[in-house]
Amino acid sequence: MPWSELDTAAVARTLAQIAEQPDDVVDAYFERREEVELPPEDDAPGLRVWREEGFAVRLLRGQRTWMASRDGIAEQPFAEALRQVARALPPVGYPEPRVRATTSSFGGPFGAAGASGAAGAPGTFGAARAAGTPGDSGPADARGAAGFLDLAHELRDFPLAVARAIRAHHVGIPVRLTLRRHRRWLQVVGSRLVPEPQSESFYSCVLESQWGRHGALLPRLDGAAAEQVAAAAVGLFRARNAAAPAAFRGVAVLAPAAVAVLLHEAVAHALEADTLARGGRPEAAIGLALAAPCLDVLDDPAAAPTEVGRTSDDEGLPVSRRWLLRRGVVEQPLADTAWSRLSPALVPGAGRRGSRHLPPGPRSTHLELLPGDAAESDLLAQANGGLHLPAASRGGLDALSGEFTLRFPHGRRIRRGTLAEPVGACILRGQVADLLTRATAVGRETLAAGAGWCAKGGQKLPVWATAPALRLEGVAVEADA
Amino acid sequence: MPSAPPGAAGDAAAAEVLRDLVRRGLAEAEVLTKRGRSRRLALELGSETSTFSQERAWAVRASSRRASFFAAGAGDLPAGESAAPGSPGGAWPDATGRPFRLPDPEAIPPWTPPSDIEAPLIGESEGLRLLASLGSELAAELPGARLLHAALEDGSSESELASSRGLRVACRRRLATLRVEATGPGHPGAGAALYLAAREARRFHPKALARRLADRLSVAAVGAPPRQGSAASGKRASGAPGGEILLAPDVASALLAALLPLLVGPAAVARVSALRDRRGRIGSERLTIVDNGRLPGGALECPVDGEGMPCRETVLVEEGVFRQPLLAWWQVDGAAPGAASGCCRRASWRDLPAPGPTHLYVRPDPKLSVAALLADVRHGHYLIDATGPARLDAEEDRFELPVCGFAVEAGRATAPIAGARLCGTAAALFKGIAAAARDLSFLPLDGMLGSPTLLVTGLELRAAT
Repeated sequence: MPWSELDTAAVARTLAQIAEQPDDVVDAYFERREEVELPPEDDAPGLRVWREEGFAVRLLRGQRTWMASRDGIAEQPFAEALRQVARALPPVGYPEPRVRATTSSFGGPFGAAGASGAAGAPGTFGAARAAGTPGDSGPADARGAAGFLDLAHELRDFPLAVARAIRAHHVGIPVRLTLRRHRRWLQVVGSRLVPEPQSESFYSCVLESQWGRHGALLPRLDGAAAEQVAAAAVGLFRARNAAAPAAFRGVAVLAPAAVAVLLHEAVAHALEADTLARGGRPEAAIGLALAAPCLDVLDDPAAAPTEVGRTSDDEGLPVSRRWLLRRGVVEQPLADTAWSRLSPALVPGAGRRGSRHLPPGPRSTHLELLPGDAAESDLLAQANGGLHLPAASRGGLDALSGEFTLRFPHGRRIRRGTLAEPVGACILRGQVADLLTRATAVGRETLAAGAGWCAKGGQKLPVWATAPALRLEGVAVEADA
Repeated sequence: MPSAPPGAAGDAAAAEVLRDLVRRGLAEAEVLTKRGRSRRLALELGSETSTFSQERAWAVRASSRRASFFAAGAGDLPAGESAAPGSPGGAWPDATGRPFRLPDPEAIPPWTPPSDIEAPLIGESEGLRLLASLGSELAAELPGARLLHAALEDGSSESELASSRGLRVACRRRLATLRVEATGPGHPGAGAALYLAAREARRFHPKALARRLADRLSVAAVGAPPRQGSAASGKRASGAPGGEILLAPDVASALLAALLPLLVGPAAVARVSALRDRRGRIGSERLTIVDNGRLPGGALECPVDGEGMPCRETVLVEEGVFRQPLLAWWQVDGAAPGAASGCCRRASWRDLPAPGPTHLYVRPDPKLSVAALLADVRHGHYLIDATGPARLDAEEDRFELPVCGFAVEAGRATAPIAGARLCGTAAALFKGIAAAARDLSFLPLDGMLGSPTLLVTGLELRAAT
């Protein structure tokens, strides 16, 4: 972790001076990010690296929020930010707590320059490993120059693994892959609470072929990830000449990857406090039968894949195993600190922020649909003419109208309980409240699936899911032009 | 050059990085440094948020004859021995992948920075007052209507770009954006949204914006889909195809955004060839499309693009004749007609420059008012807003755009229309432009895209399925 030199106690004491009123919430959010991208071979420039760090100070008083954010982490900008959010200036200036981040865990001087301006001693590749700074960085953080080369090789090896996995499906198709490793380190400091630092590490992959595009989030680049990407490429290839299905209303069986997107759009977004508030009081949703009784949906950031698992949210509050739907009934919508103050029935702990420059908002992190007892044959039974939809390319929810759309690049027709001919791109459309009541069976095997990027309100965040397959009956599907 | 980059220290650091990279065989090297600040004010269902951000960042890309890299970060530009590529203490990643080349510097025509670049950012209370005023004006225009979310962001930045080819430019920018979502009376009320950009936040006028929102909310609440097979479906009583449709700037700009592949990049030449008629025209004589990165008064007005190339006015379509696509300097190789213009944008310091429109617009007719065009519509529609993104069927060359507006008879609005789709082809749209009004306005879409109100024939208005 890069925060071993951050004097969190001193920061907390300083923040406490701004919290003049008993109900004031004051916090500081320190963030460091690194992204490394390997573009397709025919793209220039080659390896691409982004490294940044900074912080934000926030004061929440009543229904008003003041926030100041800066690039770089250093004492003087921190003191300036404090003055910008403080509502009353102290007779003397605020003390400048030591807020320097450890330079070496970035693996280079990028962060060092930002950390302390001219005074910052540049860190170096490999310095953390060489110095063995305790608590400084995890194994992946301290790779140094050699580690950076390892990463480049790791990224370069993955397209080869995908190509091999595609060939294992007995097809040979050219694909372009853009791979990116994302890492983020966070430290939230409150005036009364200093939670443990958090970190995330994962990969994103964009596959392009002449038959379509597929995006995936992957906790790690292993054989399973290569197979997941290869299967998507092969699916696009095999459906290349398939006609889009004519509009119909009937059975749709969604595979776990498609269920992940469905859960995100139709359950998580629908149960975010800010979305609920558009229709009235958010807490009025509690106890509402929103979905079929076979749906038990939770948001549990701690149960996400190890690389992205969280114990606290982006406001420093402990995360919980939050039941969004228990037997189809709304139990606990997603809320952050601000919304839980407006609606005391809501429990905070789901505050997320896309960057230090944006305020937090209520969002899901890792959704789970609990498994049912249906075998695959049960899901496909008595569904003649229905569709099996392996993965959704994107989804959307109109917060005002409740209309929900889920787009699929391709699917398979269900005939006599088995998967038959491929079909082309289609859209599942409906009202959230109606659609979720049409779930009739839940598969018994769950799969971890990165649901993808969510960009609500301009805050781009990775969202994860673990889900089984799901059978919906009487849903409307139409061709996607 | 527009001006000398401020900050000798920054200049020296960039020069040192360039020298170092060139010494190590990376002959094509470029350094961007940027500083910015912005104030963001938001109202959302009774809560207020005020954010002030300061950003400071850099980006470096470099290439040898065989390989290249890109690196970017927040904070000060790394310099010195520790920044050496591939060295144990290096900041730069090893060069891999394909090499690239950078542009040679070009003379930049004189440019006077607009005076509002110097204006201070909008203050916290001033900005919150503007948003609150928007809410109260909306409620006055349409009782029961309310803002769900309103966010105003006002920012300014300075950047310096230097390359190993001797390019040195500095640029100042100023941009404000306003995003508003509102709901009408009733439960659930109809919804409407606006997303606008201007150089300065003080250019947003709450009363005018409230009126725009109220119009859209009213139409969405009481409008009905056009009747199929009737005049409202876009067919004349005689049964001839087409009909007169007045497209407000927001609708025309949304269509322009959907049709950008016909106007941008070398591949546009092949795409547009299918639209040419026997006289070589792709549109009516009323259609002239221009891109101009230094458009006076434009929100993104700047003398140079993201690679330091001079921006200029480029006529893409002139009185219906396709002249050239929008091309970056490295796309001019004889395969596509026309000259390059500075059109490589950097969405932020995190992004590589990529060609695209800056201010791309349909040229207005300064003599024609919207009222005069409306008076000329005997039987048709006035479409005031796009209610969703356009859908394109590339194989069939057809588009669909969800819209709302009014049915028009004898120059007067007779009934609100909602739940409608404007359908047609690019050829029908371009060739069917009968007139352009003088009310050019821009929307922040893919760059700033603009159009005046257009009177068109040959498109269809259908009920949404």
